[in-house]
Amino acid sequence: MGWVFISDRDNDGKVEHIYREKTDRRILKKNPWRDYRLHGTVLFLVIIAELIGTVNIPITKNVAITIMPLIYTIMLGLIFYLDKNIRWIKKKQARIAEGAMMLFIGVLIAKLAISSGQSIHLIFEMGPALILQEIGHLATILVLPIALLLGFKKESIGMTNSIGREPNVAVVVDKYGFNSPESRGVFAIFIIGTVIGTIFISFLVTLSLSFLPLHPYAFAMASGVGSASMNAAAIGPTLAAFPGLESSIEAFAGFSNLLSFCVGIYIVIFIALPITEKFYNFLEPKIGRGSLVKEKEDDDNG
Amino acid sequence: MADFIDGTENVTVHGIFNWIRLLIIFSVITVIGNYIGYKHPIGEAFIGMGILSLITLAGVWLERELPFNISSILYISIIGIVIALPGMPTSKFVLYYVSKIELLSIVTVFLAYVGIGMGKSWDEFKALGWKAVIITILVIASTYYGSAIVAHIILVLTGVPAA
Repeated sequence: MGWVFISDRDNDGKVEHIYREKTDRRILKKNPWRDYRLHGTVLFLVIIAELIGTVNIPITKNVAITIMPLIYTIMLGLIFYLDKNIRWIKKKQARIAEGAMMLFIGVLIAKLAISSGQSIHLIFEMGPALILQEIGHLATILVLPIALLLGFKKESIGMTNSIGREPNVAVVVDKYGFNSPESRGVFAIFIIGTVIGTIFISFLVTLSLSFLPLHPYAFAMASGVGSASMNAAAIGPTLAAFPGLESSIEAFAGFSNLLSFCVGIYIVIFIALPITEKFYNFLEPKIGRGSLVKEKEDDDNG
Repeated sequence: MADFIDGTENVTVHGIFNWIRLLIIFSVITVIGNYIGYKHPIGEAFIGMGILSLITLAGVWLERELPFNISSILYISIIGIVIALPGMPTSKFVLYYVSKIELLSIVTVFLAYVGIGMGKSWDEFKALGWKAVIITILVIASTYYGSAIVAHIILVLTGVPAA
């Protein structure tokens, strides 16, 4: 059985404070700043990353992959944790890092907000695009048939209703209960998204910037996907791709992020989940396979 | 654990000092990275980080102090937008110093913490099958393209020039 249970998560339907709970336990009660090994390592990674700088790898004449310092720090951070020889970065440091992250995201949001305030006129000029692109996040539901074809049952409702980050996990757990198949699905997406999501989206955005002729502001708005770290990883390459538009791109990313936080969760509760359920009830009898969870008993793919 | 989430909660002085110390550490690392990567003067960049840290501090404090169920992210966004609005007496000062900090410098440091923090989920990650990995990748890609394409169509329809 490959399903995972996230033990340190209890949400009494109070989705708004899901970040706060983590931050509080790890930061307010202990002395996280004292862990000089963690902060020293981060400083070391940042210096290395900035010294290497941005690297362009040309693929064809017009297409190049840009690898930015942010990719080095996230990958090196993961490697430092996983490498058994590096003994000073362990679970304790990872816990502090995770808690500290919830505070540091505030600095990032503040920087975006200042760009948004400076360019407040943009929200009046481009309000419709900003609001409607939130609806674009519903495209995740299109993945539902693939999940069914791969053999997922009700898990697929939890998996494909949204991007599956903290607030979405809270909504699904609140609606279906902690031990439901729907919750198992959203937990799976949450865990995998945590580990590969940030790296994946930075490459996805880099490639899309080269291949897709979309409006620069559309890329900026789309970077607000509803996850702090993925958001950060998506803005990086977008800023680098459109020199001269930095402040507008930051402004749009800030607005879009703000909007995701204000209305994103309600879109999931009132629109995405009901549609996903209806779509599931319609499709499952047609293309559903035997239950994957049963098969998984003897099929070990860990 | 429930007492963390119910309504207001008084933060201890010790807790606030933990926030402040962490934000100072974060600022120092970011300013160093910002200097290596973009050569912005260290002193001015540090004032910029100070402004951003103060906004963050105000946001996380307000979240716990005020009786509304509102995330600190919203308080931080609102404070940031208001002090930078054209015409606000603070806007010139704030914009000057905050512009000395590149967003990418903040992101680079932030993601180093994310990288170390996400290592913790590695074992759970390995236990999940490849099928779930495929679905995750498709979900992330579709949420990104969904909103990019909708935004693009609306921008083109409303005649927004591409620069």
